[in-house]
Amino acid sequence: MTARQIGARYGVSLVLALIVLVAALFVPGFFTRANLTTILLHVSINSVIALGMTFVIITAGIDLSVGSIVGLAGVLAAATLTNAAIVHALGPAAAAVAAALVGLGVGAALGFVNGALIAWLRVAPFIVTLATMTVGRGLARLFTGGVPIGFPDPGDPDYAGKVAALDALHHLGGGRVPLPGLPTGFPVPAVVMLLLVAAGGFVLTRARFGRYVFAVGGNEEASRLSGVPVQSVKLGVYVISGMCAGLAAVLLVGQLRSGGPDAGMLYELNAIAAAVIGGTSLFGGVGSALGALVGALLIGVLNNSLDLLGVQSFWQEIAKGVIILLAVVFDVWVKKGGQQVRRIRGR
Amino acid sequence: MTDREVLLSLNAITKRYPGVVALDGVDLAVQRGSVHALLGENGAGKSTLLKILAGAEQPDEGGIRVAGEAVAFQRPRDALRLGITVIYQEFALVPELSAAANVFLGMEPGRYGVLDERAERDAAAAALAQLGADFEAGTPVRLLTGAEKQLVELARALVRDARVIALDEPTATLSSRETERLFERIHALRERGLGIVFVTHRLEEVRRIADRVTVLRDGRRTWTGGIGDVTDAGIIRHMVGRDVEMERVAGRAAPGAVALEVRGLGREPAFRNVSFSLRAGEIVALAGLVGAGRTEVARCLAGADPWDAGDATVGGAPFRPRTPREAARRGVVYLPEERKTQGLILGMRVRENATLAILPRLSRFGVVRARLERARAQRQVDELELRPPDIEREVATLSGGNQQKVVMAKWLLADAAVLIVDEPTRGVDVGSKSEIHRRLRALADAGKALLVISSELPEVLALADRILVMSEGVLRGELDARTATAEQVLALALTPGGSRAA
Repeated sequence: MTARQIGARYGVSLVLALIVLVAALFVPGFFTRANLTTILLHVSINSVIALGMTFVIITAGIDLSVGSIVGLAGVLAAATLTNAAIVHALGPAAAAVAAALVGLGVGAALGFVNGALIAWLRVAPFIVTLATMTVGRGLARLFTGGVPIGFPDPGDPDYAGKVAALDALHHLGGGRVPLPGLPTGFPVPAVVMLLLVAAGGFVLTRARFGRYVFAVGGNEEASRLSGVPVQSVKLGVYVISGMCAGLAAVLLVGQLRSGGPDAGMLYELNAIAAAVIGGTSLFGGVGSALGALVGALLIGVLNNSLDLLGVQSFWQEIAKGVIILLAVVFDVWVKKGGQQVRRIRGR
Repeated sequence: MTDREVLLSLNAITKRYPGVVALDGVDLAVQRGSVHALLGENGAGKSTLLKILAGAEQPDEGGIRVAGEAVAFQRPRDALRLGITVIYQEFALVPELSAAANVFLGMEPGRYGVLDERAERDAAAAALAQLGADFEAGTPVRLLTGAEKQLVELARALVRDARVIALDEPTATLSSRETERLFERIHALRERGLGIVFVTHRLEEVRRIADRVTVLRDGRRTWTGGIGDVTDAGIIRHMVGRDVEMERVAGRAAPGAVALEVRGLGREPAFRNVSFSLRAGEIVALAGLVGAGRTEVARCLAGADPWDAGDATVGGAPFRPRTPREAARRGVVYLPEERKTQGLILGMRVRENATLAILPRLSRFGVVRARLERARAQRQVDELELRPPDIEREVATLSGGNQQKVVMAKWLLADAAVLIVDEPTRGVDVGSKSEIHRRLRALADAGKALLVISSELPEVLALADRILVMSEGVLRGELDARTATAEQVLALALTPGGSRAA
């Protein structure tokens, strides 16, 4: 295999392995079990959003609204947790489940609006999701009056119930699963992320819907002529992206025990960056669930290493930009290397 | 032959698009185990008929029957389900997916939405093997050649248990060897009882492969019958018709000196060994079918593309432009076919478009002299009788014919000696057509040399002094427009290749 073929097969995973290796050798405190689990926790929210974004980008679309969905779904989930009537009626555990469903539902609903406008009215995804991004953020601020919803006042008559509900959701957003050899335990959001990436990978590679996602992104007209339900596929990917953002919002509220109207600002750009670094092509037709995870990890490992080295955050931003450019250049370079048609001998 | 089972019939199909009747009461019956050739000039309605057959477009009137039962196709899926497959010239394939995935696109095997990739790959491989393909089913389609992609499309039809396969100009991009193999496969499919619809421009292919022929002209069916019942000349006559004549615009003066001379010009794979001369005061038409290489010749002479063989002279001096700017400086300008994308800046005003090519001459120290610009633009626009004669109007708001006049104004202002005009009346209403013809003739009478590319036979016959006919990248002959007939032009335009690389 040539270097280019190796690059084509393993892609950014190789780059990630290389960066991890360099960090392990030269960054003090990087290659410890505690630090590595911290990285997983930190990238989990971005990974989850990037996974949904990957579905959208493979269809040659884009979803700019995910950051605002995190904000709106978050404040509504937090409001559910701290609603006295709900907490009274359901108890903390069921209230947490209700809050999670609210978050997912808000994400699905906004995703449906995006998908419906894009698939049925054929408006450009960039414009539609730019609009829902603005509307979503406005709604979140309107609903909260601009103030985060979360920890109740000590004088609140339902103080104990609300705190219990927030604590219940914290098991999802900030909990730890005991793991032998890991004193801190393994973060629950990271578990959620890994399960979701596995599920997303299965859908993209093994499910009919996943095949259609690639087909629509690769050649929409050909897909239509072949009998692929193009509109349903487009609707589906935006609902998936919205639900991933809703889930991210639930994880974030659980972790912070509060939902702020400004939460999730610029998350859409981080998710797009992770997807693109992970090898998903903005032209559509190419991408993977694992790529979303690897892309998010690459950004996370880089940020973490530079943190540990005490590098200013300004430099981290510059580094992230350079990495994005390198990923795209790498992608172009790999694509230029001609793959060979495998022939069947004897014919 | 005639009493064979009819697999598919289209009855009195009419399809209208805004401003044009694409199909007008067309019938087509496809029989079991037979090849039905569909012939017609560009724009005769062949592609529209295929789209209706595929369920990609719905007819305004008329009905479709499959095996005798009336059906209505709302979408491609409906036609596919009943075993009707159309293979377009632009393949309906997803380049990033494997051949196997493309073969089963839209009907993937599996349960509960989970793909059975092994079954898919095995079945696709079997279908491809049956067609004699030598590439693995897992190969991404983007790596395949055109002929191999065609096999993927055929395999797709096979796994769908197609009863009727329609192929839109399947041989247009194939080498002669690949064409032979395709014919063998079509024969095999016919033996298995499939009905084949075969769209082509090449009469010798029709002779070789078709059992029946349907000829379309201007959206109407002009002839249907067995291939044995008609001669090539008869087919051409049905394609051309006789009722489409245009008023001939005769030239005034005898042609003057040679303005442009081309010797052995070639740019592979588009065209080769093209030689002709163009004199001041004459209009020479470059006729042929779409894809014959005419536009490519024009683009080379206009400096838009380089040529790789031969040479040219303008006014007797060697001419080899590297950019359109350089060609224009030497007095050779090109009025492109795609007005909207290549000829005009739609969001700009008439004045701005008209003077775009001569701005340096209208400026002093880099500043455009507004009054001079307005005067020059207005004078040219008045001369062409632009309606409305408002030079501050946005070009996008003008009709097609008037947009064409703005393009002409631009190049007339440039004061070129040689004008190469590509499809000057495409998308223009009939009234504006003859007016554009008169304008072009007036230019010739004023001493310009005009090379006009046109796919419309009546236009070629009405407008030109001489007619050059190209087919498949080769100049097939020259006719005197005063005596030439449409049949003669079409016969040359349908001349088969032979000089293409295998």
